[in-house]
Amino acid sequence: MGLTNTPSDLLPGTLELLILKSLGSGPKHGYAIVEHLRLASRDMLRIGESALYPALQRLLLNGWAKAEWGVSETNRKARYYRLTAAGRKQLAGERDEFERMVRAIQYVLEAN
Amino acid sequence: MATWVRRLLYLLRQSRHDRELREEIEAHRSLRAAHLEREGLTPQQADQASRRAIGNVLLAREDIREIWVGSWPSFWQDVRYGLRTLRKNVVFTAVAVVTLALGIGINTGIFTVLNGVLFRDLPAPGAHDLVAISQTVEGAQFTATAGFDTFATAEYHAYRDRTRTLAGVLAHSDPRESTLGGEAPQDVFGSIVSCNYFSVLQQPPPLGRALVEQDCQPGAPPVVVLSHRVWTTTFAADPAIVGREIELARRPFTVVGVAADGMYGGGPMGTAYFAPLSAEPMLWPGPAPVRDDKYRWLHLIGRRGDGQSLEQVRAELGVIAAQIDREQKGRTTTLAIERATPMTVPNGVRGVATGAAAVLMAAFGLVLLIACANVANLLLARGTVRSQEIAIRLSLGAGRARVVRQLLTESLLIAIAGGLLGSVLALWSFQTLVALALPSALPPEIPAVTWALDFSPDVRVLWFALILTLGTSLLFGLVPALQVSKPDLNGVIKQETASAGSSRRGGRLRGTLVGVQVALSMVLMISTGLLMRGLYATYTIDPGFSYRDVAFLSFGTDYGPAAVVNQRLMDQAAALPGVQAVAYASQTPLGESLMGAGVRLPGESKEAQRYAELDGVTPGYFSLLGIRIVRGRTFTDAESASAEQSSARQPNAQRQPGVRPAIVSETAARTFWGTGDPIGRTLLRDDMRGGDVALQVVGVAADAQLTALGTVVPYIYEPRGPGGVLLVKSRAGFAATASGIRALVRASDPSVAFRVLPLEGNVAWWRGISGMVTTLGAGLGVLALVLASVGIYGVVSFAVSRRFREIGIRMALGATALDALRTILRQALRPVVIGAVIGIAAAAAVSRILSGVLFGVSPADPLGLGGAAVLVLFVALAAGTMAARPATRADPTAALRYE
Repeated sequence: MGLTNTPSDLLPGTLELLILKSLGSGPKHGYAIVEHLRLASRDMLRIGESALYPALQRLLLNGWAKAEWGVSETNRKARYYRLTAAGRKQLAGERDEFERMVRAIQYVLEAN
Repeated sequence: MATWVRRLLYLLRQSRHDRELREEIEAHRSLRAAHLEREGLTPQQADQASRRAIGNVLLAREDIREIWVGSWPSFWQDVRYGLRTLRKNVVFTAVAVVTLALGIGINTGIFTVLNGVLFRDLPAPGAHDLVAISQTVEGAQFTATAGFDTFATAEYHAYRDRTRTLAGVLAHSDPRESTLGGEAPQDVFGSIVSCNYFSVLQQPPPLGRALVEQDCQPGAPPVVVLSHRVWTTTFAADPAIVGREIELARRPFTVVGVAADGMYGGGPMGTAYFAPLSAEPMLWPGPAPVRDDKYRWLHLIGRRGDGQSLEQVRAELGVIAAQIDREQKGRTTTLAIERATPMTVPNGVRGVATGAAAVLMAAFGLVLLIACANVANLLLARGTVRSQEIAIRLSLGAGRARVVRQLLTESLLIAIAGGLLGSVLALWSFQTLVALALPSALPPEIPAVTWALDFSPDVRVLWFALILTLGTSLLFGLVPALQVSKPDLNGVIKQETASAGSSRRGGRLRGTLVGVQVALSMVLMISTGLLMRGLYATYTIDPGFSYRDVAFLSFGTDYGPAAVVNQRLMDQAAALPGVQAVAYASQTPLGESLMGAGVRLPGESKEAQRYAELDGVTPGYFSLLGIRIVRGRTFTDAESASAEQSSARQPNAQRQPGVRPAIVSETAARTFWGTGDPIGRTLLRDDMRGGDVALQVVGVAADAQLTALGTVVPYIYEPRGPGGVLLVKSRAGFAATASGIRALVRASDPSVAFRVLPLEGNVAWWRGISGMVTTLGAGLGVLALVLASVGIYGVVSFAVSRRFREIGIRMALGATALDALRTILRQALRPVVIGAVIGIAAAAAVSRILSGVLFGVSPADPLGLGGAAVLVLFVALAAGTMAARPATRADPTAALRYE
């Protein structure tokens, strides 16, 4: 099973959607997001920092998330990302869009 | 928040952003390493593994930068394209840039001046922590109030001792004159300061020591810290000055230090020395405010303690003020605590100063508006020419917003060039101008002072210029950009109807802009016209007294020679060759000081009292100045002599019942008795100590403009003995008279500071002020008119070029050149006439304000108003006609072949 390490293996925008989703349950720092994605995908998604951070910056740029410095559970300095209202809306929209896309792909693959 | 705002913020804080990102990724890595360690790896292995896992960090950072600055390349593209377009139209660019440079430049220039006076920090280390404290008090009696918003000594101590939010509170008096003795005695301005002055300002004297608390104890030996300027000028920068004894106000003072160069001296003027509070009674004879808890005379400046906000300081001092109020029944204190600025502007004056600044800025702003209208017009005209290019871009799918952005980028480029050019010119020229103008802002009687104001540009000025530049680019760029990019593709691409269709719409806008320009320059020119009439009036007006051939002698404020000496001086001066008359007065005509008093009729309440100017004069005063006694008589020698006995040396004398003689001016007589005969009537004058002086009118004098040129105020003269200002009228010429008087004074007392000046100088000073304002107004007015006529010229010649063909056809059909000219002008000048009418109406309102501020300016002056209006119309017509002339030379055949 191919472990995804670069965004090119995901559909464009999917990584952002996954990050938005993982922030939906509460603010997290970068490493916690990676871990969350890894565990939630049953070890199938391992996101590298070189993919994670550009995606996080895109969220900041679009105003979907806000970042602030805090202290991690192991007492280290870490930057926490929190979903904004716009981000929540984006998450819902993207999710619908993604489901439609998956269904479309399925239709194509199942057609003969 | 829009994405572009976040992009801009990113650009502004790029380095911080990068640093945070590095830290974040490093934090991420160490979290991963810690995780791996928990899973059983050695620290070293964990470290390596986490570094491997993290991937190419540099590449990620590159990616991130691209995310943030992603769309900027297209901005640079706009800039490059804009520069290319501007370079291709050199004339257009030059006219636009120069126009804006003028507009932005003069506004930046005037702002540097206002900045230096009103907004700058005090020249002291850590000035942002300094706060000026001022108060207004109701329901409490004070002996006297020197200056607005001041504090009494006891109040100062209360704030200084009770505050916790301020690390220190200093107090200083307004700088006042006193005589600095020596071989050439001179009057200097000096400040009396609390002994923590140097420590609160954190500026210890580089030479000697600062004032310390012991210096302020009663009975302490008199010491003084000299200002750097006096040390270098009067004392030739003597390195052994510390410990030397100098004479101030005829008392010995020991110099203990020399203050830092440019140290704040308690006001916009430089000070000569800093003396401790306890020295006040020695320096300034008369009531001793330092010992009088009801005498308000001190300005307070505090330094905020660590981490104390302005709000905390306000809250705490408010509590202290409330405590003081509780100690004195019926008293209400309102404190004002602001960032300290060089000009301690008290509440009452702040409004006036800000108002004057607003009028000034408005006048300068009008010129900027005209400049903007001009450039907008140029852009519109050019936009019509470019309409094809733009239509093509629109039809190829460029969004309207994209086209507007492109056009605005061009405007921004023009504005930046204009702003840079203008600001550089302004910063350089206004400093010079102000340095030239400042000395003449003070009456000649005041001893030479240096101004301690700093007009060099600071961050605030740069921000002002930047915002002005960006604002103007929107102001002149937005409307043309929207207008030009209106999607009217059909019309424009079908060339034939294009010009007619879009130029009619653009034409109306251009017409409006011309109208606005004309209206604005009309306002400025009419104001100038009225100012010039006012200036003319100051030169031709009869001030009501004759100032020619009169010299006056005045002593420093701390020196009042004994009456005997004054009497002798007067007698000796009268005996000088050529002298026709001599007299003493308490105040110099048109001089520096005024003394108003509340006056009322017997039986009226104190609330009903009216203000009159008060002067004490010897009997010969009226004939010397040629002020006619219309009714009654002047004072007698006996009245003058008895006034001398009841002078300030015997304070009780004022409380004695008994009536003093008085002479009132015609205006005063009219104010109190209308047409009735005032001779023998009684007036009550407030003696400013809670009592009244009864005055009996013995004469009525003709009105004279003694307080301000062009202003007649009610005057009340009382008799006085020899003393005050000696007026000498002589046929011998000023130079001879002055040297005669000087010799007399030196012979009687070589250690006294005094000045002998021509009375004509005071009149000239008043004219100089009018002249300065008029020159400024005229400069602005002419600039506005030039800009407006350039605008009219541009619009008319544009109209001619657009209609060249039509004119040719008309002429081919038999119209004369004159007809063609008339057609063009009628259309082009309609906005001019409409603008002129609006301008005249607006000017009527402005002139009413001006007439209140400046002497001799009458709001309904037909010559000033009409002359200016005719001039504006004439210039507009001339510009229009000149621009329209090519139309009259239109050759029908050539015109038909045009295009």
